[in-house]
This record gives sequence, C-alpha cells and structure tokens, in this order.
Amino acid sequence: MSIVDLMSMAKPNLESRKKILAKLKGKGLANCFQCMKCTSGCTALKLLELKPNEIVKLVNLGFVDELPNSDIIWTCVTCLKCVERCPQKASPYHIIMALRNLAVEKEAKVPEGFLKAVSQILETGLAEPPQKIVTRKMETVDRECLNLPKIRLPKESFQAALMKAMEEK
Amino acid sequence: MARIGVYVCHCGLNIAGVVDVEKVAEYAKTLPNVATAKHYTYMCSEPGQKLIQNDIKTHKLDRIVIATCSPRMHEETFRKAVAETGLNPYLTEIVNLREHVSWPHTHEPEKATEKAKALVRMGVARAQLLEPLEKHKVTVEKKVLVVGGGIAGIQASLDLANAGFKVYLVEKSPSIGGRMAQLDKTFPTLDCSACILTPKMVDVAKHENITLLTNAEITGVNGFVGNYEVSILKKPRYIDEKKCVGCELCTKVCPVKVPDKFNENLTERRAVYIYSSHAVPKIAVISPEHCLRLKLDKDVCGKCQAACEAKAVDFKQKPETVNVKVGGIIVAVGSEVFDATRMAELGYGRFKNVISNMEFERISDASGPTGGKIHNPKNGKNPKTIAFIQCVGSRDKRFHEYCCRVGCMVTLKQAILAREKIHENIRIYVCYIDLRAFGKGYDEFYTRAREMDIDFVAGVPSEIHEKPDGSLYFDVYDKSTNKLVQINPDLVVLGTGLVPNRDLEKISSLLHASRSSDGFLLEAHPKLRPLESAVAGVFLAGACQGPKDIPDTVAQASGAAAKAIGLLSTGEIEIEPLKAVVDKDLCSGCRICESICPFVAIEMKTEKVKGEEKLRAEVIEAVCQGCGACSSACPTSAIKIQQYGNRQILTQVDAGLAEACAEGGK
Repeated sequence: MSIVDLMSMAKPNLESRKKILAKLKGKGLANCFQCMKCTSGCTALKLLELKPNEIVKLVNLGFVDELPNSDIIWTCVTCLKCVERCPQKASPYHIIMALRNLAVEKEAKVPEGFLKAVSQILETGLAEPPQKIVTRKMETVDRECLNLPKIRLPKESFQAALMKAMEEK
Repeated sequence: MARIGVYVCHCGLNIAGVVDVEKVAEYAKTLPNVATAKHYTYMCSEPGQKLIQNDIKTHKLDRIVIATCSPRMHEETFRKAVAETGLNPYLTEIVNLREHVSWPHTHEPEKATEKAKALVRMGVARAQLLEPLEKHKVTVEKKVLVVGGGIAGIQASLDLANAGFKVYLVEKSPSIGGRMAQLDKTFPTLDCSACILTPKMVDVAKHENITLLTNAEITGVNGFVGNYEVSILKKPRYIDEKKCVGCELCTKVCPVKVPDKFNENLTERRAVYIYSSHAVPKIAVISPEHCLRLKLDKDVCGKCQAACEAKAVDFKQKPETVNVKVGGIIVAVGSEVFDATRMAELGYGRFKNVISNMEFERISDASGPTGGKIHNPKNGKNPKTIAFIQCVGSRDKRFHEYCCRVGCMVTLKQAILAREKIHENIRIYVCYIDLRAFGKGYDEFYTRAREMDIDFVAGVPSEIHEKPDGSLYFDVYDKSTNKLVQINPDLVVLGTGLVPNRDLEKISSLLHASRSSDGFLLEAHPKLRPLESAVAGVFLAGACQGPKDIPDTVAQASGAAAKAIGLLSTGEIEIEPLKAVVDKDLCSGCRICESICPFVAIEMKTEKVKGEEKLRAEVIEAVCQGCGACSSACPTSAIKIQQYGNRQILTQVDAGLAEACAEGGK
C-alpha cells in the first residue's frame, strides 16, 4: 500500500522544495490553478496513489519529504498528455521527472524495470531489444530472415559516456 | 544665471522606501545654480505644490526640477502649479525617481540613491537650457465619428446625438446591433436582448443628429485632435437603399444558399438577404462573393431583379468613398468569439453535438433557427444531458492568458435557460475551474442557478471522446469529491471566450492607437484614463479595449461619449507646444523628414531665397506629435523638437557621464 503517510506531511520542507525547483530548471509550477485537466485526462490515473494535480500542489506548498519515495513517480507512463493540455505550462510531468532524478540521487529504491532498461541500453544501445514479430501471414520472423543488417553493439566510448553521465546525475 | 529649485518627492514610501531622499536633496544643493533643494512626502499634494510656489517667490526661482514619479503621471499637475505663480510652466523639468529608480531597484537601495543623484544632476543641467513656450489654441469640429455599431457604438452615438453633436456611425455589417443582437437573454436579469436593444437601434436610425453608414469601413484617417479627416468606404449593397422596403421577395427567389453568419452558420441564407429579422436598416443586401451575376460578371440569373416590385436591385452600384471632418473618434469595434477548433481535444468542428456558447444563443433565441427550442444539432431532439465546459481559449497560455470576464455568467445564464426551457428532467453539468460572478447581482444569479439543480463539477476535462455509436463522453476529476466522473452528454456547450477583433490591426494602424500585449486596444491609463487611447481625440468603448459584458460596455460607451463631449464642447482646444520646428536656413529640402514622419506632419513648400526657388520643410504644428523621428533623421540638424534640441539633450548626457568619468569610468 501507500508509502506516503499523509498525516506526516503536514510540515513543509522548504529545503527539499528548493532542490526540486532547482531540478525543474525554470519550468514553472507556481502557475498551476488546479483546473484538473492533467488528472481528468491522466492515462495512468487509476494506478496512481496521488493525483497529478496533487503532486503539483504538494511541491508548491513544500510537502515533499515522502514524494521521492512514492510509487507515483515511477507509475507515470510519460505519455505527455498533461504537458500538451496544461493551460498554465505547469504540467506535473516535469515535476515527476525532477523527483525521479532526486530519487536516484538519494539512492531510493528504483523499480526493477527502469534498472533493466538502463542495463539494456548500456549493453545494446537500445531501450527495447529487437524482437521477433508475427506477419499478416502468421509467420514469425526476425531481422535475419528479413535480410535486415545485424544491429551493431555500442562502442565502448558510448558506454563510458553513459556511465559518466549517470555518475554525474 | 539660472536660479534652480530642486524638489525630491517621497511618494509616501514608493520612492523614500528605497532612495535616501534626504541625501539626494542635500546632494542637489551642491549642484551649480541650485538655489534651494527640498524633499517632501507628497509633492503632488496641495501643501507640496504650495511649497514650490512659495519658494518660486522667496528664492526668485526661474527653473524648477521635480524628482518624482513618471512625467506621464504628474507633469501636467506641476506645470499648472508653476504657471499659477506667473513663471512659464515649460521651465519645469521632471526627473523620474519612481518608475526609473525606486521600483526597478527595490533590492539595492544604495545604488538606487546613487542613480537618483545622477538623474537629478542630469535634470538640473538640462533645466538651465529650458526655454519658455506658449500653448496654441485651435478650433475644433463639433462632430464625432463612431466606429462600430454594436451596443457600445449605439449607446455612444445616442448620448452624443442627444447632447447636440453630429455623429457619423460607421458599421461594417449591413445592420447595426453587433453581438448583442445575436443573444437570447441577458444576465443577470434574464430580460431579452432584442427587447432592450432593438428600440435603441431604431432610435439611432431615426435620430436627426446621427448619420448611419452601414456596410462601410474607415479606410483613411488624417489630421489631429479636433480636426480629423476620415475617409469611409461605403461598399455597394447592389440594392437601392431609398427604394427597398424590406419585403424579402428577393430572398425567396435567390437560388444561391450560403451559411448564415448571423445564425452562427447553423442555417443558410441566400446571396441576397436581410441581415437579421430585426435589422436596422431593414434593407436587403447582395453579397458579391456569392451572387452568381456579380461573381461571374455575366448577365445571368437576375431572379431577384425580376421579383423586386420596388425596382430596388441595382447590379451597377460601385463602392463609394465618403470623406467626413470630425473632432473626435470613438472606437467601438467590439471583439470576436474564440474559435474552438483551435482546441482540437474538445472536438469542436468534429462532433456535431459540441457547440460554442454563441451557437447556443442562436439555438435558444426565439428568432433563431429552432424558434427558441433547445435542440441537439445532430438529431433535432431535446438533449438529456448537457455539459458546459468553461475557460475554452481563455486563461490558457496556449491561446489567451486573460480571463474572458463573461464566460462564467454566460454559462450560468444558458444553464438556467436550458433548465427553464426543457421541461423533462435533464441533467445539466457545469465543469469549471473558478466560477467568477463579480458584478452587481451576479452572485445572486449564481445562487439562482445552484437552486435549479445544476451540477457544478470543480474541474475541466482533458478531452472529449466519441463512442463508436456516435455518443459523446468525457472524464472529469472533481476536486471537491476526489472522484473521477464520467459524463455522457448529448450536448456539450463550450464556454468560448472573447478575443480581439481581427479588424483591430487595421484600425490601430489607421489611428496610430497602440494595443496591449493581449491584442486589445490600449487605454491611456488603466485606472485614471480608461476611456481614452494615447492618441488625443481617440476614445475607446466596449470590448475593443478588453473583454466586457453588456453593463460594462454600455457604461464605458456613455463615458467615452462624455469624454468626447468634454473635448469638443467649447469649440476650441489647447495644443502642447512640444513640437518639431524647422530652422529654414539649415534646411536643404532633402525630404527625408517628410518620408519618415509617421503622422504626415511635414509639408514641403517652395520659397524664394535671393531670387532662387528652394524647397523647404514646414511642420504642421497641430498634426505633429513631437516624436522626434524627423529630428534624428535630419542630415543638416535643421529640425529639432522644442525643449529637446541637441544642446539640451547632450548637456544632459554630459552631466550624466561627468561624475562617472571622474570616478574612472566605473
């Protein structure tokens, strides 16, 4: 169940708020007037323990202590609908991204899928590995039988650069 | 030797809260030719003005430097105070310590004080070179042009006409009435729009002081306050206005059908048509872009000509330009309604049962396409569930940042009308962000809506979907219950806001009237001069200045009329002497100033000098606005602006740089 204890969040933590705001790099959240467009249209709403509009307001008011540990920042499917529709350019997406970065910095628990994706990229250079597909004639084919060239593995310099970028956070 | 008095204003704490005014006054005393320097809480107040006036007498001052707010605010106040003592008012110099110092430098008081000192030093240096000037008087035309025949233009015209002024009312459409003529009922009293508007429209047409020019546009404006010359293009109606009786025989035989703009394209009209059932003047008009004969320029069709018993149809009519002389101009061109197709996620234009609030007005209006019965556009039946969605195109950084100021009240009214008109038990939802009911009687109107079982959902949907069976649905998260509500409406009304009229671009450039960042026309001062534009003699009324409802529009229109009356009633006005002057000996007649002047204030004249004919520039003083473009462009420095000549400006710059250089150019 919920990791976020709503009762313990009564005190604003202005220091942490400052850190999140710094991560936002000028992408505003103060303009949010709680029109509910992000929440009304959220693709992942039914999986979220906090609503997108709540996240914006919580950060705005400084109730941020538990947010980096919350599930919601990893449940967001980053469909960017809220970015597209937000009338005040204060979409929760940017905050969720900032919180993800903060969580990694704090070495909070990152869901396995994300770690898998990272190691996948390190190894193959791809977020998704090439998969076999089924054609309209119900034949299962892979790249080889379609005469597509083999995917080259990333160079070591790419891996080094990616590792460096991750260490820098 | 000049004797200068320097006065530093605290402006309460506006200036004194940041700038050390005492230090600035002390510093001023050390400047050359300064006889006295003082500081006071409110220089513009009566005791402040008295202080200056007494000093002029006791210290025999002949130049006054006042370090205070922007000259746009109080320069006139101080000039008047100085003039009362007998000193020429143009020997006053304003140094702006508020907008230029204390407000932008709130967080650096020490630097602000240094900047204030520098500006005072510059002001003192310039003051020594000020010259006494006199105001000129010009006679004015006691006539007014009103542009736009909506409720704003109608109200302004009637007020002016009743006060005895001649009015030219120019309307682009074939009838006056504007937006208000399209509305069903009006908030917060629910009196019908036509019942209160049409009598006024008729009054305009009948008034002996009003010349009504419909189907017409202004195409040129020359001249200046009190003496404007305006060209008005009367587009041909292809109907003889004197013969047409408005019997509508022609409209029945015309074979061309086009969408009717008056009914928000919900119905069709013919190529020859009468603008609306209560049009004033009730005269037919042929739209040349639709009429077969006019479009093809061939001798075809002609059915209307054959049907007309009054022989009013005249295909040979040509556009006609009317030139009028007026003293003042009231702009009342109104606004437009936001085009909701730009917000694609709401499906307007794609889904038939998603309509704008203007379309709802036409559907609800007794003289509209459904005879006042609220029908679904898709199947013509009564809707079972109506959803209103607020702030469409307004309060949205993607489109318009401002609040449209009418959307909430329009929706409340339409929700009430739907409840009253449809007797079955239907569901009515209003999805809103903030519900604003701020006017007189408005919040009571909101209460009335709540008492009528209208469901208010605190939140707006992200998008509207269509199911495979053609019905609509949307999800909206209600913030007061923390529930995601699915609504299945069979009519969605979008609370589309008001946006600037697309004609404003043309009109603002014709009149040299500026626009604010939201695209509406800019008033001279947001609080103290809301009815005037910055151009003398041009007044603003109604939604061309910003989104407005009917009560506010009518109030502003009457106010603008009163302003025009105030300007023109004495028959003459005073003109500021801060204009361009030409030194004829230096002028080479190169005509650069003539080409550059934005106000067409330069006239080239030939003069005989020692037997030779020479071209010389001459300034039409009343037209010149003193912008200085000619002065900086003149290759021989022959043109200068009074009080802003090269010497006056450069001395000021030198004084500004003097101390900076002494400090080693820091």
